Amino acid sequence: MVEYHRNSLTELTTPGSLKTCIVGIGGAGANVLDRITLDRTVDATLVALHTDIRVLSHSMAPVKIQLGVELMRGVGAGGDPDLGREAAMYSREQIRQAIEGHDIVFICTGLGGGTGSGAAPVVADIAKNTGALVFLTATMPFSFEGKRRLAQAEDALEQLQKRTDALILFENNRMGELILPKDGIQKAFIQADQLIAQSLRAVSTIVTTPGLVKLGLDDLTSALSSSNGRCLFGFGEARGQNRGSEALKRALKSPLIDQGRLLHQTKTLLVHIAGGDSLTLLEVDAVMRQLGKNVPDQTHILFGVAVDAKLGDSVSVTLISSLGLNQLNTIAAAAPPVDMLPIKSRTMPSVLSAVAAQPAAKVAALQVPLEMVFGEEEVTQPAVPEVEQVEMFATDITEQEILVEEVAAELPANEDEIYSEEEIVEEEPPFSYAPEPEPEPVKPIVRPRIEDFIPAIARTNTSSLAAVVARAAPAEEAPMAPPLNAVAAKKPTSQEEQIAFRFSNDEDRGRFKNTEPALAGGGEDLDVPTWMRLKRKLKK
Amino acid sequence: MAKSTIYAGLEIGTTKICVVVGEAKRDGTIKILGVGTAPSRGVRKGEIVDFAKVQTCLNDALVRAEEPSDVMIRNVFLGVSGSHIESLNSRGAWRLPEEQSEITEDDVEEAKEIARNVTISQDNVFLHSVTRQYIVDGQEGVRHPIGREGRLLEADYHIIHGVRGRVQNAVKCVREVPLEVEDVVFTAIAAAQVVLNREAKAQGSLMIDIGGGTADYVLYEDSMISASGCVPLGGDHITQDIAMALQIPHHRAEEVKVTEGSCQYDDIPADEILRIEDDNGFVIGEVERAFLNEVIYLRTREILDQVKERCQGHIGKLAAGVYLTGGTSLLKGIDVVAQDVFERKVTRSGSAPVSGVTATFENPQYSAPIGLIRYAQILDQEKPIMSPLKRFGRKMADLLSAIVF
Repeated sequence: MVEYHRNSLTELTTPGSLKTCIVGIGGAGANVLDRITLDRTVDATLVALHTDIRVLSHSMAPVKIQLGVELMRGVGAGGDPDLGREAAMYSREQIRQAIEGHDIVFICTGLGGGTGSGAAPVVADIAKNTGALVFLTATMPFSFEGKRRLAQAEDALEQLQKRTDALILFENNRMGELILPKDGIQKAFIQADQLIAQSLRAVSTIVTTPGLVKLGLDDLTSALSSSNGRCLFGFGEARGQNRGSEALKRALKSPLIDQGRLLHQTKTLLVHIAGGDSLTLLEVDAVMRQLGKNVPDQTHILFGVAVDAKLGDSVSVTLISSLGLNQLNTIAAAAPPVDMLPIKSRTMPSVLSAVAAQPAAKVAALQVPLEMVFGEEEVTQPAVPEVEQVEMFATDITEQEILVEEVAAELPANEDEIYSEEEIVEEEPPFSYAPEPEPEPVKPIVRPRIEDFIPAIARTNTSSLAAVVARAAPAEEAPMAPPLNAVAAKKPTSQEEQIAFRFSNDEDRGRFKNTEPALAGGGEDLDVPTWMRLKRKLKK
Repeated sequence: MAKSTIYAGLEIGTTKICVVVGEAKRDGTIKILGVGTAPSRGVRKGEIVDFAKVQTCLNDALVRAEEPSDVMIRNVFLGVSGSHIESLNSRGAWRLPEEQSEITEDDVEEAKEIARNVTISQDNVFLHSVTRQYIVDGQEGVRHPIGREGRLLEADYHIIHGVRGRVQNAVKCVREVPLEVEDVVFTAIAAAQVVLNREAKAQGSLMIDIGGGTADYVLYEDSMISASGCVPLGGDHITQDIAMALQIPHHRAEEVKVTEGSCQYDDIPADEILRIEDDNGFVIGEVERAFLNEVIYLRTREILDQVKERCQGHIGKLAAGVYLTGGTSLLKGIDVVAQDVFERKVTRSGSAPVSGVTATFENPQYSAPIGLIRYAQILDQEKPIMSPLKRFGRKMADLLSAIVF
């Protein structure tokens, strides 16, 4: 069983941060809420609304409101948006009470059905009246659900467009691509819910956490502003070497972005890069440069960077954009016929792209309990300054834009510099295998070179490792790379010659003893370690 | 060919045996359904030395690939490599009959036949003959000569061949599993199909697939394959060098290489000491990091130098630079060394995006097996145009004759 603390989850707000509330309406909404609860990805008040008492009773959300108790008597809306709307009107007061006092309200729902399509506009209205910013995260029905449902969804969407600040729309048809064809349908829905949960988390992080180059609501809305647009969302997190580009790769692999192909069409793209203290400008630059290849020049890139200690040594990249449905369809039609087929034969399911982001969710999940402790301590403190904060966003805008422009202006200038620096980290003098007649040191660096090890390794019966350690102790041998002939002069013994003879032995080929020798142009056996051969040459 | 086809690619590498099951779609995309790998035993420098061990490992890999993909693997495209694989460019000229001025398919076949009629050693067998270009009356760079007016048609071919017995060995080993070998593909050719994009091929690029036992390379100029081959050196050699320099067991050396190894040693302070532990975690010795890295550097440099030597004369034309792939391309600093050797832009690259199991195609280790799927797909697409049925038949005949004798 997943343990989870009902009480603490409701009051997960740190002072100074914006209070967010996620309202899940209808079946789809409840599912997303469950996912969020399980993953504990978002710090927000979760409110589940449904007409159907059975669904509601199974929901894990801490606050549940049964819509239209008298009207519906605990039965679903049966796909009728009018009933859904009526039911929501009946429960207006309850909804208001639940939503009130939050700065940002996310409404998650699946459009097309009764409760979702009907109640969502009502809830949006209520939320808007409380003075909160209202985001809608909605899924559009599968095409196999029929035109009727699609029309209902479109209707609801039209109403919602007027009442919300930003719409994040997911095409269920595209969600089908998240999974392998043979995976169960349940998994498909889980994946879809996860993706929505992820996007909620990303959006709320972007908007609420302070950043070096801050992105605000204005950026978000402009990124999502295409008319009748569908959200393109990609999230990637990575750590280790090349983490920036890895994270970007993962973000681009999101099926909603279609390997970055869909980005070619977008007018505005929001990019948010977050990392721990170790995030470097170089990494940010590299990510942006790589992204630049996927995005046409005229695209307006809204760029944000945040340093979040929580992320540790990982870097996350979030891409948000939107594309008009028509464009989306034409592109999709050009590639795989996504909209025409039932799910199981749909092309390009890349589960792992969704799963790849999973560890991120887990990390966040682990961190939540910590925050919860804090959260509980500070419950008593009234969260007053939120309104001011919202205003601050507005004043920030100009500053941000300038910043973004500055960064953009700086990037090309830096690019060559950084690039060249990266590429030519070490320019070494060309190394020659053939021994030079002149006794010049091959490399003019004052540090013991491999030549020094000749005497040590020549004694094949003792460990060269020990010799290396031993060599480190006497100081007089260490400091300089002696000229080649000096090395040769050191040990002109007969023992040396014997060993030189043995080098051509099969022994030295080690692992490759019994294979055909890899002969180079000069007839030398390349299976013998390079350093051994080099030494032999140097000695001659 | 109306629907997508499922192919399996098998690469018997020196460090791992890898089976990739992929669905080749008719729109040219590939979806990876399953990947099975097993550490490889009994393979040295890309060639099988111990049949029984390889077959055991191969069975492991097969099961691992079959399970997630839900596909019963019967036929595979087999990737082969090894020092015996060589290549050459050949040109065949065919003068059209007097009464005819338009080039027909038969003429093209004729020119091909002549081009392919090169003398290779009796023991050798053709692996690939790739059309580079056609030349019609001296006009170079013609891709589709059929239907053109001309008198003299020349076909420019890149021919890759290998020692019959050694190719046969690999095929035989796989057949005994039992699996049917649909085609034998030189791994570098396969890997290049997914590592290099059209543009890179057009601009000129060199792809080096540095694996465990071999470094296979393919060089493209003007979208034409100009050179290819195999240097029988790879990550295994690096490991061996470390093992012998530090006097530690091979598997420890491998671990040191992967976790600590780098090709860059100049900026490492001389006193930075690395502890080498044995299997139980006891320190069996210490080594200067710079020393370790220099050992790695020398070998890496040598491998790349060997490749460069074999591509002499083409390096100047590589506008898109050098692409490194294969497991050893994960070695730290190898790009810097390659940059140094080739003095060209160096890109480390895995396979181009295909859909399916994401983690797989990011990893350069899987370039070749994924490439095999792509190769199969290309072969399929070319069929109606090039009548490779004949080609295929010829190859099969080659293989069969080898079995008979």
